[in-house]
Amino acid sequence: MFKQIFLIFLLLVTAAFGQLVDKDHATTHPERSVNTCLECKDCHTCDNPTREAPCLTSCPRHSHHFYGQHTSGEGPDVVIIDQLKNHYGPVAFAHRLHSAMSEMTGGCNNCHHYSEKDGVIPSCKECHLEESDDLSISMPSLKGAYHRQCINCHRDWAHDNACSFCHEPTDSEIPENLDTTDIVGVPHPRIQATSSYNYVTSYEDGPIVTFHHDDHVTLFGGQCSDCHKGDSCSRCHDETKQVQQINHLTSCCSCHQERDCLFCHSTQPKPPFQHRLTTGWDLEPYHTKTACKTCHNNPGSFKTPSAHCNDCHIHWDSGSFDHKITGLVLSEDHLDNDCVDCHSDRNFELQPECSECHDEITYPEELPGEKFR
Amino acid sequence: MTTRREFLKIAGVATTTMVLPAQASNGPHLDSERFGVLADLTLCIGCRKCEWACAGANELSSYPIEYYDDTCVFEKYRRPTTTEYTVVNRFPASETSVQTDAKVQCMHCEHPACVSACIVGALQKDPMGPVTYDADKCIGCRYCMVACTFQVPAYEYLNATTPQVRKCTLCSDKTLNGSGKPACVEICPREALTFGKRSELLKIAEQRIRRNPDRYIDHVYGEKEAGGTSWMMISGTDFKELKFPEVGDESPAVVTETIQHGIFRGFSGPLMLLGLLGATMKAMKKDPSDG
Repeated sequence: MFKQIFLIFLLLVTAAFGQLVDKDHATTHPERSVNTCLECKDCHTCDNPTREAPCLTSCPRHSHHFYGQHTSGEGPDVVIIDQLKNHYGPVAFAHRLHSAMSEMTGGCNNCHHYSEKDGVIPSCKECHLEESDDLSISMPSLKGAYHRQCINCHRDWAHDNACSFCHEPTDSEIPENLDTTDIVGVPHPRIQATSSYNYVTSYEDGPIVTFHHDDHVTLFGGQCSDCHKGDSCSRCHDETKQVQQINHLTSCCSCHQERDCLFCHSTQPKPPFQHRLTTGWDLEPYHTKTACKTCHNNPGSFKTPSAHCNDCHIHWDSGSFDHKITGLVLSEDHLDNDCVDCHSDRNFELQPECSECHDEITYPEELPGEKFR
Repeated sequence: MTTRREFLKIAGVATTTMVLPAQASNGPHLDSERFGVLADLTLCIGCRKCEWACAGANELSSYPIEYYDDTCVFEKYRRPTTTEYTVVNRFPASETSVQTDAKVQCMHCEHPACVSACIVGALQKDPMGPVTYDADKCIGCRYCMVACTFQVPAYEYLNATTPQVRKCTLCSDKTLNGSGKPACVEICPREALTFGKRSELLKIAEQRIRRNPDRYIDHVYGEKEAGGTSWMMISGTDFKELKFPEVGDESPAVVTETIQHGIFRGFSGPLMLLGLLGATMKAMKKDPSDG
């Protein structure tokens, strides 16, 4: 009887001691101490891992487990990444384009560093958490994972960290007439070009050439391919970081046929084109969206308009035309005049003539009314 | 009536008890769970978003985020100022190294020299990691600025009435109560900065170096520098080239504290000598009346 009680007692003590050891292991184990939800099996493949033989499962990132055989045509065309938007809008990631490019080098696992045994590629957010917690401290969160993937190449090729390269600033206005489909004959993601460039040349009389890219695209209605047709990818995506020489004979002179070097060359940077400053005729406020060629239809010559006001404004006459929109309110004496009284031959681009009625009066020294703008 | 012998005894005991508490310091008390930040300089792209987030979190300036897109600032080497607790410097590629961007801020030493130098206890080392500053205690002596191994604390010289010493706080208002990470860590788009337990971070740092020996140099800056720091860096470029000061493995505070505390402990001798002298003089003064 005494022997039995002793045996039971011994068993109890052993069990209690075992519990104690287990608990001790659980709290001193580095990973368990961080997150108690973690099961041993989450990291160890065998039942009794030891320090010498921990039989750890391999981390997807570092062993590059990729079993898939995919082609660039598979997968989505565009992926919208907007889980983490705050200051910038969502990112439209041109997946098809990137997969086509990556076929030239490492294929899908350039970016997809992990796939299941059956070749199915999980999305980034299946492994990478939106907020990294203590347990996943060595794995980047979703934000870090995206940025590490994208910026690696974009920084090397575009030499630019600008967020706006991928993120559309929420308050930006995208020029409507910008055609992004014609660059080197393939669809291309939107390009954020520098608005103007100042080239320093070896031409002594005017070393500086200012090129307003924005003007050429938005104002003059140029298409990307007008200048960039046949450009190689490395013109922009160069890894050598060498500025490529510009051949102005082909790029500028294909449109500019001026023989005056100083049209482009100057001793100081030139301001962007403003119709009012250069020609004296203000496009504001009614003609700002009129294409240049609507009035200047002679290729290469913008000196004089080829079209005239009443080519479009065919209904202009003294009864129906409110002269106020030109910025000049006619005085009462002039209200009843016919258009041709001042604008001879109905040519409204020419300076109006006063000599028909007045002997000593000339325009614009004296005005037939009041100018308000 | 105390005898001469009794007086000497009392004087001896008194000096000893006065001097005893001042012993060479072993550094501040540190929690084993204390946190830190690991900066992986190979991941930093110099986007300066950390500077923007820091300025906002600490209400240092209110420049818009676009202001920080300017890369011209990289032309000069910058140091933290009263309105910039953290700055990013760019080091161009050389023959031996790739282009590296490196963030500078208070390293939050394990055994900070600034805390040791602060005579009023305005700077304190929190057991959880941050070196905190109490402006109400600060008398503006700027000893901390002289003491700092990394030359980080900045002083508001332009503030005539209530100037403060300014430096990175490790966002202790958030990090100490566990409600968040430092602002710079939160914003970092590539997560070049990792916030966590210092012991864990050291493991991660060693792991990354071990797994990518070509990418990193085998050195965790801040693991041992100046007795260890809360901020630690791993890099592909030698830290010397990144203008990180070459400091020994021992905190300078250990040296100064040992010397200073040693002198004060040694003062028990001079004090006893003085006591003896005083007692002798008193005794000699008494002698004529006796005789």
